[in-house]
Amino acid sequence: MREPTAPRRPPSPAGDLLSVSKITKRFPGVLALDGVDYSLRPGEVHALCGENGAGKSTLVKIMAGQYAADEGTIVYKGVERRFSSTTEAQNAGIAIIHQELNLVPQLSVAENIFLAREPTRGPFIDRAKLRADAQLYLDKLNLDANPSALVKSLSVAKQQMVEIAKALSLDAEVLIMDEPTSSLTDVEIDKLFEIIRSMKAQGVSVVYISHRLDELNQIVDRVTILRDGKRVCTEELGRLSIDEIVAKMVGRKLEEKFPERTSKPSEERILEVKDLGRSGVFENVSFDLRRGEILGFAGLIGAGRTEVARTIFGADPKSSGTLVLNGRPIEIRSPIDAVDHGIAYLSEDRKGEGLALGMSLASNVTMANIGAVCGKLGFLDFAKEERAARSAVEALEIKTPSIRQIAKNLSGGNQQKVVIGKWLFRSSKVLLFDEPTRGIDVGAKFAIYKLFDQLAADGIGVILITSELPEILGMTDRVAVFHEGRMTGLLETRSTSQEEIMQYASGRKRMDSLTPGRR
Amino acid sequence: MTDRQRDLVQKFAALGSLVVLVAIFSFTTPAFFSMGNGMTIALQVTSLAYLGIGVTCVIVAGGIDLSLGSVLALAGVAAGLTVKAGMPVWLGMLVGLLVGSACGLLNGLFVAVLELPPFIATLGMTLVARGVALQLTGARPVSGLGESFGELGNGALFRVVREHGDDFPEVVFPGIPYPVIVTLVLAVVVAVMLNRTRVGRHIYAVGSNSEAARLSGVNVSRITVYAYTLAGFTAGLTGCVLMSRLVTAQPNEGMNYELDAIASAVIGGASLTAGGIGTISGTLIGAFVIGILRNGLNMNGVSNFIQMIIIGLVILATVWIDQLRNKRSSRVRVLSVSKQSKQTSETLQSSGKPNPEPKRGAQ
Repeated sequence: MREPTAPRRPPSPAGDLLSVSKITKRFPGVLALDGVDYSLRPGEVHALCGENGAGKSTLVKIMAGQYAADEGTIVYKGVERRFSSTTEAQNAGIAIIHQELNLVPQLSVAENIFLAREPTRGPFIDRAKLRADAQLYLDKLNLDANPSALVKSLSVAKQQMVEIAKALSLDAEVLIMDEPTSSLTDVEIDKLFEIIRSMKAQGVSVVYISHRLDELNQIVDRVTILRDGKRVCTEELGRLSIDEIVAKMVGRKLEEKFPERTSKPSEERILEVKDLGRSGVFENVSFDLRRGEILGFAGLIGAGRTEVARTIFGADPKSSGTLVLNGRPIEIRSPIDAVDHGIAYLSEDRKGEGLALGMSLASNVTMANIGAVCGKLGFLDFAKEERAARSAVEALEIKTPSIRQIAKNLSGGNQQKVVIGKWLFRSSKVLLFDEPTRGIDVGAKFAIYKLFDQLAADGIGVILITSELPEILGMTDRVAVFHEGRMTGLLETRSTSQEEIMQYASGRKRMDSLTPGRR
Repeated sequence: MTDRQRDLVQKFAALGSLVVLVAIFSFTTPAFFSMGNGMTIALQVTSLAYLGIGVTCVIVAGGIDLSLGSVLALAGVAAGLTVKAGMPVWLGMLVGLLVGSACGLLNGLFVAVLELPPFIATLGMTLVARGVALQLTGARPVSGLGESFGELGNGALFRVVREHGDDFPEVVFPGIPYPVIVTLVLAVVVAVMLNRTRVGRHIYAVGSNSEAARLSGVNVSRITVYAYTLAGFTAGLTGCVLMSRLVTAQPNEGMNYELDAIASAVIGGASLTAGGIGTISGTLIGAFVIGILRNGLNMNGVSNFIQMIIIGLVILATVWIDQLRNKRSSRVRVLSVSKQSKQTSETLQSSGKPNPEPKRGAQ
């Protein structure tokens, strides 16, 4: 039974199944966790809440043995432990269900549930037992799936359930669920909650991470809120309202991180997006972008912001909707069309989609506009290319020994600047920037923000997709908020707040009529 | 060591082994280091060089072409049959070049439009092209093509011959064989194309990261088709020159030539795993390494079978060394990146799609 605890009491090993204290974890340039405490009582569901990047996933991965903490201790069942692998943690009774599916699509449901733990008879897999055991867990979950069916033939929701069955089969005492409901339907979620409740009754403890805050009061006992790698508070859920949780999640003071906006958007619409949709991904997205405006795209991960940008850019096919550029309808079938029309897209996946890592800084900067560094006869003019690369290096303060430096040898922040430089060199009318400041240090961020302001002042329309709400508030003129493939709000940045944006982003609030152009 | 230095080391390593080979063979066989034998080697290397240049473009673009040996046979046969049908030699050669290019074009379309894996697409073309060549000729060589058909393969520029009035004119200077001149021209043109034109730059970009290239507005399909068509063209050229040297169109010619060509490119530093890496100069060196090995071993009386073994081992050793080199250079990088990539994978999992979420720096 739970004893009432004073809030903010430092977690003590006594009575706790698992407790971590003073956990610190650094990644290059980033302090992911800073002295975080967290504890788990037997039979408790303890939620971890926080914005994107608050450190939730890092914390649970340390508990599950996936990462080693730089500092701090883990006490499990009264003994200090240091798990060096997930297998070790699993054997000790701590299992993790990743949000990202960790299944082998070509293997059957049963084979996946018992992967690397297959029942054997002599040297052979005991297929009958494998199927029967799997069926047991499927029945527990009320999951209508044939244990012999290949995982790839199942829907994503069912795959998620298989993942849960796999974790159940481990007979864990601590079950970590990282966004387990993100791809489940309401019915399946209800089923999952029922299972969680029955596991609780059997004394299993659950670490629960979800962006869907409305779910919390159905199953959660306590909640710990993380912000910027630090623990904000740990409370009984009953003592906090959802709104208070949201406020604590985002409750950061805006500091002098952003330059003053010198540009003002004009009334002239540069890009109009009408009823844009991509079947199964997002639908009915309508907004307009003015000359000299910075329009933010806010929303939780998976809300469809990147997908909307990619579709505008022609990187993914659209299934409905029209685009109007400078008053003229345009048809964009591929990125080639988009670039020709002066639309640029900076991908959030720098290494996978932004850079040619094996090529030089100069080659990357000129990649989208190679014609501009060609001489009259169509041959590359290396002097021109060098000038282009040098001006990018100077404008963006890229730290590199030479413009011929191979891109993969640059640091992450400098790589990102090279990609930005690529699109600056191809002067565009509309810039779609997807997480442009990710992984960049604060000083460089400021330079990039100033650059955005400068671009807007030059009459370019900028769409800024970012998961950092301060960036939205500090840099944008208006903000479009997305939730699960729909645009739920279009707000004036001046008159909104992080809390309001979060309300729209979590789907708790939604504008009924979003007519583009009307304020 | 910077990348540029590493690149130079790679090049000098290949060039160095070339010099070592020449030194060894000159020592073991006095006749090896002579003008005459030099010309022989140059002539022997030409066909390997053409194909190597073509396949280098494909490899740099991130693909592979296994069909070149068959395509050269089909192109040569097409040229031979055209001449046999009474057309002028230049027209026959043109037909050969066009047939080769057309095969390459098809390869490119299979890869870029039908999105077949390059290995499979060109493997299919290997069988089809060889089959067509055999079918057209009934598997028999096409001979009686006339002396002028042999001019391209056997003629030479600046050949100086002194007539003594008897039956044996004295060859003062054997001249520069046309195929060697063609090699030089082709190498220079393609090298300039790769290094100094936008198409060339785009070939590297597509091979290095096709998605980044696509999102930069590069027409990836067109570049891919172009690279394969160029490789097909070089196969057509090889077919014409080879058949001209034999003054016969041989439908069985060119078996496994593509493998030697790929080996040349790889010895010269092209990467089959990464794409976006490879140079014409490197490939030429690679072609000479293989050509000189063959020639020198021949002159030392090493049997054909042993030669196969040695060349096979050379290819394995070269690629292994290259892998070691890559691993070492990337290990340095991995050390600095590993934590970051861990962080990325961590955020991957919290987002459920390839969408790394940002880490906010300490404020």
